[in-house]
Amino acid sequence: MTQGISGGVFYAELSDGRAGVEIELTQSHLCAATTDGQAFVIAYEECRLEFGGYNGKMLFCRNADRTVTIFSDEKGFPKALANAASGRLNEQLAVQLAKVKGESRRSSMIGIGLLAGTFVVLVGLYFGIRAGANQLTQSLPVSLDRELGKAAYQSMPKEGSEVTDPSVVEPINAIVKKLSEHAKVEGMDFNLHVINSATINAYCLPGGTMVVYTGLISAAQSPDQVAAVISHEMAHATLRHGLSRISQTLGLSAAVSLIIGDTAGILAAGEEFFRSASINSYSRQQETDADLEGVRMMHAAGIDPSGMPSLFKLLKHEHGEIPGGFVWISTHPDHASRIQETQKMIDALPEKDYTPLELDWPALQDRVGKVDSTNEQTTVSAESPGDALGPEDKL
Amino acid sequence: MEAELRDKPSFTNLRLQLAPGDEVIAESDAMAHMSSSISMTTQLNGGLIKGVLRRYFGGESMFVNRFTTDTGGELVITQPYPGDMVCLELKGNSMYLQPGAFVACEPGVELGLGWAGLRMLLGGEGLFRLKVSGHGRIWFGAYGGIFEREIDSEYVVDTGHLVAYEPTVGIRAGMAGGLFSSFFSGEGLVTRVNGPGRIYLQSRSFGGLAAWTNAYL
Repeated sequence: MTQGISGGVFYAELSDGRAGVEIELTQSHLCAATTDGQAFVIAYEECRLEFGGYNGKMLFCRNADRTVTIFSDEKGFPKALANAASGRLNEQLAVQLAKVKGESRRSSMIGIGLLAGTFVVLVGLYFGIRAGANQLTQSLPVSLDRELGKAAYQSMPKEGSEVTDPSVVEPINAIVKKLSEHAKVEGMDFNLHVINSATINAYCLPGGTMVVYTGLISAAQSPDQVAAVISHEMAHATLRHGLSRISQTLGLSAAVSLIIGDTAGILAAGEEFFRSASINSYSRQQETDADLEGVRMMHAAGIDPSGMPSLFKLLKHEHGEIPGGFVWISTHPDHASRIQETQKMIDALPEKDYTPLELDWPALQDRVGKVDSTNEQTTVSAESPGDALGPEDKL
Repeated sequence: MEAELRDKPSFTNLRLQLAPGDEVIAESDAMAHMSSSISMTTQLNGGLIKGVLRRYFGGESMFVNRFTTDTGGELVITQPYPGDMVCLELKGNSMYLQPGAFVACEPGVELGLGWAGLRMLLGGEGLFRLKVSGHGRIWFGAYGGIFEREIDSEYVVDTGHLVAYEPTVGIRAGMAGGLFSSFFSGEGLVTRVNGPGRIYLQSRSFGGLAAWTNAYL
């Protein structure tokens, strides 16, 4: 006889319909005794077993007419019952245990499946909405880009005074105008600002507000290289990378705002966005796209596009390559890739007689040198939007 | 300690008349008013880890308030939403409460936490459930009215309507019907409870209230 198994009994005649019991297992039956002396007996021959309860592992034993149910969730109860019944309940126990295991496995699979499914749906929604917003930016009116670019330019630090000397501004503006005739998007207002700063940089804000630093003109070896930088930056604007960056960086709220057509919030956030230094870098794909679009614009404008790869060769020669292990985390493609990609595109272009840019390059550099003479230190800005050279280029 | 559930069933509150030396434990913020002779101390609901688990997975507070008195006094305890409350006396047995149902108990009652399972979480019933065991009275509440059902086989309860059940009751989340009818009937997921045992159900669900309110926002 086995003693000391705690459990309970269901019986309609009990005051509450149930009671706590101590279960005894004899050779012929199991007996449940309540604290007030009532006893309930079920013979093994008529015992119907079933697992259930809060954890699925509570063993219920019912009599033939289901009027008495004795149960326990003690771990040793099924084994003790099997031993006491001397094999009479083994088949039932095996079936029930298999059922419990199957149910447990099924529950786990469903739980994990539902979790995984929920995760996949959420990730899909996240990227779907972002991708949708990206597509929508391309269908927004260009006036939004212009508005955003002008507002951002007004609020941005300029790093120097604006150069008004026509002998500096006009030759650069001629390059901008020549390229702008072949812009991919109509309605851009390419408005040039030359800034007196030793910083070697240029950028084009959404809508076409173009900024060229005198440091870039001083450092370039040819007007074609300046044209290459300008075309690359203009491409960022015409490919509307600025709005894409805003929609991607600001997350789902920006995406939803774009989808429902609420552009006021995007404009306000975008102005702040372009003022901030930390987020002013395009993705590697956008940089590559801007390189290739720049080459296309130069070719279409009749400017020798080889200025683009030659600029990258200069960067590579002067400043080395990004260490191989870091290429994938850089926001800019490595120089070798940029040389290869742009050269590949140039080779595929139809042959054309390029017209040299009509400007006196030595005179322009000399004039810029005089304007620029107050700047003693040459730096590369990592803070300006649309950094064509990239902060890691250290030109 | 005398206990009376007043203003049933819509705005039920628990009035306790504590004798000197009596003690009661209540959910954080459940006290509505009390005699100045009653002292209140706040303690972690069963230790830091259990308290955190109860807070984030059991739908209960990290803290519970312990009310004691040397001279006796009146204490009125309520729940934050309109609905009924039930008193059960535990005599060494256990009960499982769904998240948020616990209101108060006598000091002989132990508050534990039981794993409910991933399916229950996805079914909207929470990852854990509160296990009350030991000796003494326990009061739990519901949103709306409370029904008691004695079940002996499978019974289907809509998500958010199950309040409490005995350990002999097995529960699992599942779909209301087939894939199509589950999602287009408005029933979605349901809780399937299996007897024998007693279950307590609430006549309203917070999910239903939230959905109804959202429609007007």
